[in-house]
Amino acid sequence: MNPGPIPLSALDLVLASGLVVVNGLLSLWLGLGLEKKLFVASLRTVVQLLLLGWILMPVFAWNNQSIVFAICLAMVILATRAAVKRSSRSYPGAYRASFIALLCGAGSTALIGTWGIVGVDPWWQPRYLIPLLGMILGNGLTGISLGLDRCLTHLDEGRPKVDAYLALGANRWEAARPVAADALRSGMIPILNAMTVVGLVTIPGMMTGQILGGTDPSEAARYQILIMFLIASATAMGTALSVLLSLRALFDEDHRLRSERIQQRPA
Amino acid sequence: MRFEGTGLCRRIGERTLFEGLDFAIDTGETLAIQAPSGAGKTCLLRLLAWLDPGQGGELRLDGRSPHDWTIPAWRTEVAYVAQKVPELAGSPDELVQATQRFAAWKNRAQQDPRVIAARWGLPDKAWTTTWSRLSGGEQQRAALAIALSRNPQVLLLDEPTSALDETATSAIEADLADLTVIWVTHDQAQAARVGSKKLSLAQLAPPGGAP
Repeated sequence: MNPGPIPLSALDLVLASGLVVVNGLLSLWLGLGLEKKLFVASLRTVVQLLLLGWILMPVFAWNNQSIVFAICLAMVILATRAAVKRSSRSYPGAYRASFIALLCGAGSTALIGTWGIVGVDPWWQPRYLIPLLGMILGNGLTGISLGLDRCLTHLDEGRPKVDAYLALGANRWEAARPVAADALRSGMIPILNAMTVVGLVTIPGMMTGQILGGTDPSEAARYQILIMFLIASATAMGTALSVLLSLRALFDEDHRLRSERIQQRPA
Repeated sequence: MRFEGTGLCRRIGERTLFEGLDFAIDTGETLAIQAPSGAGKTCLLRLLAWLDPGQGGELRLDGRSPHDWTIPAWRTEVAYVAQKVPELAGSPDELVQATQRFAAWKNRAQQDPRVIAARWGLPDKAWTTTWSRLSGGEQQRAALAIALSRNPQVLLLDEPTSALDETATSAIEADLADLTVIWVTHDQAQAARVGSKKLSLAQLAPPGGAP
């Protein structure tokens, strides 16, 4: 049996929170005005993570399919909100598109990961499905928000270019092709960069966790490889789907770009 | 061939740019549109190219509506050339190559845009230069030549010679003389030269006057 990690007491966490005080002092000293934000962010870190652990404990113990699915759905919804909110522009239906993109992209790769590759039995076993889905969603939403942001920016600011293509007789997909390509590229760059440097500079979070938890580093590395590939695939699928759905929503049946549907989010 | 619109209306928000607008032109005619800026000339051309949604009215080319043609086919027949060429990536040649892949361009008789623009004094090397490095006049001629190269039935031109000198302007005017054109210009003399028909500001302005 693996030796579990050394348990952390509440006192240990109080000591750790002392480290964040450095940030606060720096902010006060340089007049960054970040104290309040820092306080709220720290508080959220504590509350959200304690809550998560507190919720996951019984969920792991009960091992009930409906509860696991309900939690997964809630995770997808939260990730959707985060993805749309991070983009500088939005449109009615952005939530729907991002939700479908995350559900299909992250959901299918999580399924492939647990059931197809790791061979968890049952495949929805919460110990595996929930953390895997969480990692995939967390990274996938970055891709989706970047892709969405780039796509909407192009359609809004770059409208004359799209119109020039349309005026030359391009149908909506032909006219949107350069936009889609660039949006996809920008959505996939973070995960490609991460895959390039992973293990060189940092030990990724999941691998760190597994090593601290007593797993053999080579075993942890194999899991990390799996998760990187799952994330890459989910990001590609999710970004492509959200861009396609957005393009379909922003061009009408008459091959007209309806950029008036795009709203700029107040900075 | 006849290109006609009846009862056209365009509103943006609360503002009515025009309503109840009628026009008709036959093969070889040029309809000159003269109106002060802000009167909605560009919006009219965009509406005719089906790039913006209208709020009423009907358009017909050869008796068929845009939907009868299908929209991309309509736009290849009714070619809109914007006043300002957008900041496209790549060169005019690359735009020509991109258009060759459009489904609406398949099996369509085409001319070489280089040959057309050469008549207007556009040097050959402009075609391989990036758009952003071309002058406004060079961009205008390249864009107009590309639109003309696929032999549209109607041209919708928004100040097509605004960045050009007199020589190039008269070359273009002469070249377009036999074509069917709706020509927006702020230049009264040009409107008089090219227009066989005129649409005046009064017709463009909505009842009650433009704001």
